[in-house]
Amino acid sequence: MLVLYHGEPNGPSLSVLAMLAECGLEGQIETRPINLLAGERHTIPGIAEPLARDIGVEGEGPLLVVDGEACQESVFLAQYLDEVAGAGLQPKDAYTHWQMMMWCRRITERCAPAAAFLGNQAYAAPVLAAMDDAAFDAIIAPIASADLHQRWADTRSGAFPDAARTDSRAKIADAAALVETQLADGREWLIGPLTIADFETYGWLVGMVDLMPDTFAEKSLTRAWMARMAARPSVQSALARAGVTHPERVWAPGPEINRWG
Amino acid sequence: MSVTLYHWEPNANSGKPMLALMEKGVAFESHYIDMLAFDQHKPEYLAINPQGTIPAMVHDGRVLVESTAIMEYVNEAFDGPVLMPDNPLERWRIRWWMKFMDQWLGPSFSMIGWSVFVGPMVRKRDPAELEAAIERIPLPERRVAWRKAISGQFGEAELAESRRRVAFGIALLEEELGKRDYVGSNGYSLADINIFNSTYSLPLSQPDLAGRDKTPNIMRWLKRVYQREAVKRTWAMGRTDLAHRYSLIMEGID
Repeated sequence: MLVLYHGEPNGPSLSVLAMLAECGLEGQIETRPINLLAGERHTIPGIAEPLARDIGVEGEGPLLVVDGEACQESVFLAQYLDEVAGAGLQPKDAYTHWQMMMWCRRITERCAPAAAFLGNQAYAAPVLAAMDDAAFDAIIAPIASADLHQRWADTRSGAFPDAARTDSRAKIADAAALVETQLADGREWLIGPLTIADFETYGWLVGMVDLMPDTFAEKSLTRAWMARMAARPSVQSALARAGVTHPERVWAPGPEINRWG
Repeated sequence: MSVTLYHWEPNANSGKPMLALMEKGVAFESHYIDMLAFDQHKPEYLAINPQGTIPAMVHDGRVLVESTAIMEYVNEAFDGPVLMPDNPLERWRIRWWMKFMDQWLGPSFSMIGWSVFVGPMVRKRDPAELEAAIERIPLPERRVAWRKAISGQFGEAELAESRRRVAFGIALLEEELGKRDYVGSNGYSLADINIFNSTYSLPLSQPDLAGRDKTPNIMRWLKRVYQREAVKRTWAMGRTDLAHRYSLIMEGID
């Protein structure tokens, strides 16, 4: 039995929900929305193997439960869905596949932590700060990972150092510049054919447009690619699951900014 | 089909593509990059990999970087034993463990290793020579890491966090290898190559956390991997005595 637990269609939840539709697996895999900022990912019942949920690098991302085993990390969930469905969203040529995986690593290791930092500062921190201590403590009590636990506490207390904010904005600008450069040869999708890299990149960047408008205003190729992504039926299907008007403003503590060069 | 690998010791990141190529039976030209002599930041290497990170592989004129991604490429591009299973759940699990090592546990191993080994090794050099070497490092994050290592400026809090993660990660690996013969599946895979290259020395480097009595599952797994012909051939390419020291630990493990 497979169940996909997901947050609002933003960040990794958006990329995996869109991949689910792109792979033609909607209706075959049960989906259940959860409130990531209420800590609901940590209290999902019936998980016999919680390791990846508890220690996931991605933080509060979607969770695919496969026969009681919790599976996480949006790129690997996308690969799982693609491989189960045979959807062909990973290049068959080994070198192009390497390029796609390198692109995804660049997004998950550098862009995603920066986006999570900025998104949580803007949108999640005020929600958590408004909670009383008992309510917040009840949310974070089940969190197994000490470092994720700390990121929740930092988000609530407003521990967003200026240097990290500057670094995060630079990393989002770098990611946008990378996309713009990649599209300069006129290609439609990031790696050439449509791949997992498009969904992963779109999921993390789409919420940054409002937060860093000047960065995206000057990148016409990137904006056109984002419009192509937004128009895809799979992305539309993912966004139709939103329970709020602006899902791109819904964040919960994500991956940490890397602590070692 | 020429393959050239630029690598340091058969250890951590450099060891991953070395062992993957050996397992697949792919002949390659070896270029030893002495990390402690800053070979990776010299112009001749930066011409291959402008980021100055090791390892790097050149296959038919194309440059590939990042050790785990190179391993995945090697498995897909060449004939030989398959190092990823067909089952999608096992494939997911193998990828998860590699990411867990590459992004969460491995950096903690590195921070400790650099503070007790790399830093003291290079610290003895002429300060002006060291400063010039650091200035040649292309990635700003790596410049910070080298400065900290050389000057012994890792903070106690960040070292304590790394020690916490190492202890935690070893316990998780011990638990995993109690469930399955290998990491993430019952067959030898890229996950084993990845994690072996960062854990082969645990009984020596972390004797309070790993060893015959404390982590019997890890020790049995280490021995199974260590006995592979490809591992022996890879270790023979090292220029230090690590392989010999490690073989002594393995004696007496069932």
